[in-house]
Amino acid sequence: MSVATNLAEIPVLLRGETVMVTTWIDRWDRRRAGTWLLVLVTGAALFGAAIGWWRAPLQALFTATKFPLVLLLTALGNALINAMLAPLLGVNLGLRQSLLAVLMSFTIAAAILGAFAPLQWFVGWNVPAFNLELSSAFLGYRFMQFATVSFIAFAGVMANMRLLPLLRAHAESDGAAWRVLFAWLAVNLLLGSQICWMLRPFVGRPQDPVTFLGAGLFQGSFYETVFEAVRAVVLQQAEVQQ
Amino acid sequence: MNATTLLQQVPVLLRGETAQVTLWTETPSPARVATWLAVTVGGSSAFGAAMGWWRAPEQALFTAVKLPLVLLATGLGNALLNAMLAPLLGVNIGLRQSLLAVLMSFTIAGAILGGVAPLLAFVIWNAPPLAHSTSAGTTHAFILITIVAAIAFAGIAANLRLLRLLERLGGSAVVARRVLVAWLSVNLFLGSQVAWILRPFVGTPGLAVQFLRDEPFKGSFYEAVFYSLRRLFLD
Amino acid sequence: MTNLPPIPPEPPFSGLPTTPVPIAAAVPSPPLPGVPGTDPAERVPIGGFFAASEAILRQPRRVWFQLTQDGQVRLTFLLLGIALACALAYGLVVGTFSGGNQLWAAPLKIAGGLILSGLICLPSLYIFACLSGAHTRLAEVCGLVAGLLALTTVLLIGFAPVAWVFSQSTESLAAMGVLHLAFAAIAIRFGMKFLARGFEQLNAQFGGGLRVWTTIFVLVLLQMTAALRPILGTSEDLLPKEKKFFLSHWTESLGLTDSGASRR
Repeated sequence: MSVATNLAEIPVLLRGETVMVTTWIDRWDRRRAGTWLLVLVTGAALFGAAIGWWRAPLQALFTATKFPLVLLLTALGNALINAMLAPLLGVNLGLRQSLLAVLMSFTIAAAILGAFAPLQWFVGWNVPAFNLELSSAFLGYRFMQFATVSFIAFAGVMANMRLLPLLRAHAESDGAAWRVLFAWLAVNLLLGSQICWMLRPFVGRPQDPVTFLGAGLFQGSFYETVFEAVRAVVLQQAEVQQ
Repeated sequence: MNATTLLQQVPVLLRGETAQVTLWTETPSPARVATWLAVTVGGSSAFGAAMGWWRAPEQALFTAVKLPLVLLATGLGNALLNAMLAPLLGVNIGLRQSLLAVLMSFTIAGAILGGVAPLLAFVIWNAPPLAHSTSAGTTHAFILITIVAAIAFAGIAANLRLLRLLERLGGSAVVARRVLVAWLSVNLFLGSQVAWILRPFVGTPGLAVQFLRDEPFKGSFYEAVFYSLRRLFLD
Repeated sequence: MTNLPPIPPEPPFSGLPTTPVPIAAAVPSPPLPGVPGTDPAERVPIGGFFAASEAILRQPRRVWFQLTQDGQVRLTFLLLGIALACALAYGLVVGTFSGGNQLWAAPLKIAGGLILSGLICLPSLYIFACLSGAHTRLAEVCGLVAGLLALTTVLLIGFAPVAWVFSQSTESLAAMGVLHLAFAAIAIRFGMKFLARGFEQLNAQFGGGLRVWTTIFVLVLLQMTAALRPILGTSEDLLPKEKKFFLSHWTESLGLTDSGASRR
């Protein structure tokens, strides 16, 4: 089967034709997996480039490299735990099948993100450069953030909506499929957030030079930072009340 | 077909015999089109002359030239748009047929206006001159109402005939009404502006009689309406 | 004018030498049911600029059918060519308002902006169609978008004489802006109808997704008016140095008009 034929199968994934996709997941095909990887990398790279372009062309190149890495590292890093969680929670999938299922959902998300890349670029083109002193620029930055989050959220929701029927096809019950979906989502979110944290910046601050990775690559974690931020807010609130 | 025979076809238009008119729009002949144009120009010209005569004989000549121009410029200016709107809204006719349909309605309006022109001329003949009309407010108002009523009557009759034709061409009353409303809207929109550019038609007693105002392209009809409304409600 | 004579029933025509009227010939036949291509006329390939312009107005089913056939790339490019030519022509009319450099800048910006908007939104339309379960090929979606742009710009050409008359008369930037936006809104509405019905004819119905995409496409088009400004008025720069949201650009333009600014 040629790459072109495999590419022609991507719309089948997007349409969520479960019967067809189930057979693809059950039977390993190196070329198909390669095509899915190609779509994943290209789609995510395009979207990453569109995000980074707002900061600088070099940042576009960096983000285009890092964005697919986030997806790939998350999928690979959680491959084992996902494969273990599935049978434990009632969905009869092996390591290869669960990896392919996650790869499929990431491929769908990346295809959607790739399609949204021109829109993301257009938003960036029309938003002023980030400047805290200018209220209009700050509003523009907020709008850009909103658009980016909306595109990613839409892609994520759709990818998971396509994953659920596939899990149902292998699950002993509907509840089991939901359990596995939530478990996978939880571990992917846990690892994915940390990988994002390590691979930052994706946009970059105007006052800092454009770099591939930030200075503190392995310093702290996403969750520590969130925890510290929440603690600071709570303590500040408590001081104000005292 | 000689000119007399062709002129005899005008009552067919007025009676709204759509079967025949449909055939004419589908198989146009240059002689018939010329006749329709002649009736449009002749009728509206006669009405324009009667209108302008109220101000001065020279204004009668000017308005006799300009009133047909308003109709023709509107018809031609919107020809493409009308031809596009018709199939998009459900009446599958081409540029030539839509142009002929609009020309037919203008011919009907022109014929009616031409028919009413002597009546208007008689009213104006018996009215005090426009220069003194402020002292004869009722007469002034009566003449203006007569003009508006005649134009409205001609317009409504022409459009009712056009509706019948569109119903026959489109095969549905709803579709025909949709196309008619669209055509009326765009014709009114452009026609008002063309009339604004070609003003004055009656003239103002304080101003000299002229073919066109000094700066005919300055401003638009809708801006004038907008500023008048703003003055009315905000000042 | 309530005493309007009633329209009489249609008596057989007499008094003039005419031939009997074949009613069936006078009344066009209703649209054929079924998928496009049922009517043999719809199977005739569309060739040439004017034939394609007429087909998109009068025979949309023929266009939809031809877009599903082999070699539809040619038709897609033909429709794009129509969109480009008509956008350039309408742009010229827009440029006459300010004259000078705008006579060439406005056509380029309008044609470029329109094609760029189509290109930006095309991938997401295809993805929306697929996500909604539609069995359409990318080439068909490209053809439908090209048709949307072609129909929109062809209709704008219809509005061009009206726009020209007003652009020669008014001095108000705001009035002309509103007029062009109104014409564009009408034209895009028909274009969207072509697109939506095209998807229906291709058995690819996706109401919700298409509505979302329509909103995105219209927003992109509107933002293009700010991104490529000035299109109607004049400026020292060909393209803006400052980035602005289209609503703030319009509000500022309205403010300038109120303070007496015009094209000259």
